[in-house]
Amino acid sequence: MLKRKQESSFEGSGLILFLDVRDALRAEKVLKDAKYAARLVAPPAELRKGCDLAVKIKLVEQLGIKRLLNQKDVAYVSIDPLKAGTSELLQIVKVTDFGGWIMVRAGNMKLTFNENSGVIVNTSGGGCPDIPYLHAELIGKRLNEAARPRDIGFTLCALMLDRALEECLILWQGGRQP
Amino acid sequence: MLIAGTIPIEDLPLIMGTVRAEGEFLVIDGHSIPCTQGTGAMIGAALAATNYLKLKAPQVLIAGDIGQGKGSREIYEYLIQKVTDIPPEVLALHYCLPDMALTRRLCEAVEKCTKRPIMIADAASMYAAKAAGLASKFDIFTPDATEMAFLADPDATHPAYINRHLFDTNIAQTPRLVTTAYKNRSAAKLLLVKGATDYIIRDGEIVATIDEPNIPELEAIGGTGDTITGLISALTYAGLEPHEAAIIATRANRMAGKFAQAMPATRVRQIIDQFPAVFKEYLCQWSGVCYMEGGDYHG
Repeated sequence: MLKRKQESSFEGSGLILFLDVRDALRAEKVLKDAKYAARLVAPPAELRKGCDLAVKIKLVEQLGIKRLLNQKDVAYVSIDPLKAGTSELLQIVKVTDFGGWIMVRAGNMKLTFNENSGVIVNTSGGGCPDIPYLHAELIGKRLNEAARPRDIGFTLCALMLDRALEECLILWQGGRQP
Repeated sequence: MLIAGTIPIEDLPLIMGTVRAEGEFLVIDGHSIPCTQGTGAMIGAALAATNYLKLKAPQVLIAGDIGQGKGSREIYEYLIQKVTDIPPEVLALHYCLPDMALTRRLCEAVEKCTKRPIMIADAASMYAAKAAGLASKFDIFTPDATEMAFLADPDATHPAYINRHLFDTNIAQTPRLVTTAYKNRSAAKLLLVKGATDYIIRDGEIVATIDEPNIPELEAIGGTGDTITGLISALTYAGLEPHEAAIIATRANRMAGKFAQAMPATRVRQIIDQFPAVFKEYLCQWSGVCYMEGGDYHG
């Protein structure tokens, strides 16, 4: 079993809040593409509904960030100073070798692929309503041809599945062996 | 028995009805749904059990939802409005976008039922119940090892946020996590913790562990947790005590994996197809309640 080290962090002081997870995922991508420091986190407990995501930023950069999000039509609720009570997303993954098939677990989500062909043979775990949809969309596709769960999913479970897929790609493309 | 959950068909309307099998599909009120990971697998397993036991087929409440939450909210709102009129003997909640406020309203509505249903939650319905502080209102949760860590984490509102040291724990740490979860009032009365070893826990006490037959490939197969929840729902509806239903559900799931010669690429439908043969061979031995050809039960 192999575990991945946690991504390097940064000292964020601001928090962008969203109405839904998909907007947060889009915002993080837009900001990272533009080289802003951005990290997905849970909003403070008093603002959570059950499946929530916020983006931690450097508050000093909020002017440029607001402009960029508006230019890219990414909807957000507000940008506020970071409060106590936010939580980091789980970053580590675990790998199981079934002999011919590799299963990667990220949080509550698991993705299994054929180690020779790179074809996704199963996804399991999770509980949000996009997970059965993603299961149907991903199975039978090669890892590098499948749609990314973070692009077509909507929830935190989809985000965890995306992390699993990302790690599977690294494993399959020879970055390391389990 | 009423099973409520979303189906990954975007334009599927809210449907309530009795389910029947038709080839590889499940049919409810003229709508066909696939028997795949999620609510479909859960319904498929429950139907296999009720068919074998010659019980009334499950009532199901489903709506299309691919993650945006509309179908989930329709299911919650329907139940909030109607549960007192139904009221089911067993209410099993499954894939829905977690919403703490709606879960709270549903629990309030259930309290008004003339006879309180046996409340079962899995998947995101379990996440919402725990996050809202309502876990103890439920009779049965069916978490896997990661979800058990989520139940034990007092701050997590979704498994994506569980504390790293809890994620690092393996299934052998389940007893410690269980103690923490009950202390935090984050567990249902009965827990079936699914893993290499399955733990059945009642009010904080381990009443059984099951690790045979050992079929590690089941973990990779999407929907094999859903089938356990479907089985425990049906067996509870059949009159077994929740812990007895849990023990038989996990044994049957493992044995179905063995019968299907499960591999990581196996589909959950292939597992469900094995349940009648598993029941025929083992249910009498496991439960002490034997169904004889011709329709008689012998205790």
